[in-house]
Amino acid sequence: MDALLTQVPIAAAVGAVLLLAALGLNFTFGQMGVINMAHGEFLMVGAYTAFALQAWAGLGGAAVLVALPVAFAVTALMGLALERGLIRHFYGRPLDTLLLTFGVSLLLQQLARDVFGAPNVDVAAPSWLAGGTSVLGVWLHHSRLFIILLAAVAVAAIALSIARSRSGRYMRAVLHDRDLAAVSGIPVGRVDAATFAVGSGLAGVAGVALALIGPIGPSIGSSYIVDAFLVVVVGGLGQLRGAVIAAFALGALNAYSELWTGASLAKVVVFAVIIAFLQARPQGLFSVKTRALA
Amino acid sequence: MLEVEGVCAGYGRAQVLFDVSVRAESGAVTCVMGRNGVGKTTLLNTVAGLLPATAGRVVLDGTDITRARPHRRVRDGIGYAPQGHGTFAPMTVAENISVAREAAGRAGPEAVEEALELFPRLRPLLDRRAGFLSGGQAQQLAIARALVTAPKLLVLDEPTEGIQPSIVAEIEEVIRTVAERGVAVLLVEQYMDVALRLADEVAVIDAGRVVHSGPRTSLEDGEAQKLIAI
Ligand SMILES: Nc1ncnc2c1ncn2[C@@H]1O[C@H](COP(=O)(O)OP(=O)(O)OP(=O)(O)O)[C@@H](O)[C@H]1O
Ligand SMILES: [Mg+2]
Repeated sequence: MDALLTQVPIAAAVGAVLLLAALGLNFTFGQMGVINMAHGEFLMVGAYTAFALQAWAGLGGAAVLVALPVAFAVTALMGLALERGLIRHFYGRPLDTLLLTFGVSLLLQQLARDVFGAPNVDVAAPSWLAGGTSVLGVWLHHSRLFIILLAAVAVAAIALSIARSRSGRYMRAVLHDRDLAAVSGIPVGRVDAATFAVGSGLAGVAGVALALIGPIGPSIGSSYIVDAFLVVVVGGLGQLRGAVIAAFALGALNAYSELWTGASLAKVVVFAVIIAFLQARPQGLFSVKTRALA
Repeated sequence: MLEVEGVCAGYGRAQVLFDVSVRAESGAVTCVMGRNGVGKTTLLNTVAGLLPATAGRVVLDGTDITRARPHRRVRDGIGYAPQGHGTFAPMTVAENISVAREAAGRAGPEAVEEALELFPRLRPLLDRRAGFLSGGQAQQLAIARALVTAPKLLVLDEPTEGIQPSIVAEIEEVIRTVAERGVAVLLVEQYMDVALRLADEVAVIDAGRVVHSGPRTSLEDGEAQKLIAI
């Protein structure tokens, strides 16, 4: 029982990272039908942004905080460039998009190897996140608490802006019916680009959180992308609530199967199934009739 | 106001429209008629920019908009309620209306009030999700959404299809009012009686070609009627 309880905080933290990563995938797949295989690499870029700010810019513990907006901006711009430069020209051709973005993903991993080296690196948490608190006999790392809080704030901000802001209304309109949105005067292409940028930016933020959980390496994105896709599939498209539940369920699954070897092969199989599933049933496992973002 | 000149269009290799020319004047209702599948919706989609014209020109108010994207055309003054009373189902009635007004950027908030005056039945439904509206309510919302963009040209695709007679009468009244205010109305309508009540001009399409056009009175001719008979 004790062993089970001690895993709760890490499970929740991993779930929070997955949630942030899955939100972007959810947007881009739900709205544009794009399966972006390079999305995981935005996590990696976010994580290395934190590393670079700490090791190179000498920001020390503050690097993690500074990295949050910086990683968001960097990965949002990368996402924007990817959408405008590449993906936009292949809308309606999911297989081509899949292969292209897979190529981009490999490219980005190689780039990371060249710039940061192949071995894993560590990002040190700021001193005020280093400690922990014992709650009901469970040791709660402050950094994990921070990650959970970060995800909560990000999800709340996204939910609020989707529900209340003008761009949120545009996004929901495009998500529901692109043609109807276009003939209502909504600049569909620009909404796509903005959605892609925000989704990628969230992955960058998730990457910073990842750097707090453990060591980071050039291929860290690919180990999370499978689960992030799984969150999208299980949670249902455009379903914020579904995504939250699925993310934390998977976070738990991950935390408890950590010791199980052979997990990486299982993941490859799971990933292949997910991709096939998304092609056949893009609305997800548990979808409601209207794809409301609620 | 609107001139469609020699337009050809289709889906992939299947050409649907052949050298179609239609005009819609300000303050008048131009009615496009024809049997199922002759290309009426296809024509409206090329006017709205959802489907590219492979030949010919679409001219709005003297400006060639043949290559303009749909949202640009809305900003230039085309309001479109597509066939099947489509709405943004997960959004409320109020959001459906405001999103179009904001996006078009042609009218201030007062346009919402004006649209609600034309469709008073929508007023108590403002907070309801559009997906929960009846067909008649959804159609009124679809037209209201097109109207809050303050269009110079209002394009309606079978707004009376499958809707109960009392609501049809209200929709007809709105179309008449809008035209009287100087808007050009391009209306696809299958019901002869509705067309005879509303139209100033008619164009009949058959197999992707305009086979008859003229003032409403020309519909009384038996030959024209035969082309429309379902
Ligand atoms: N998206 C599409 N892809 C391929 N063919 C299409 C598509 N939409 C319509 N068509 C075909 O184009 C032709 C014209 O269709 P269109 O919808 O313009 O007819 P319509 O006159 O509006 O008919 P209705 O009165 O039933 O609304 C039809 O033969 C139809 O099958
Ligand atoms: Mg039609």
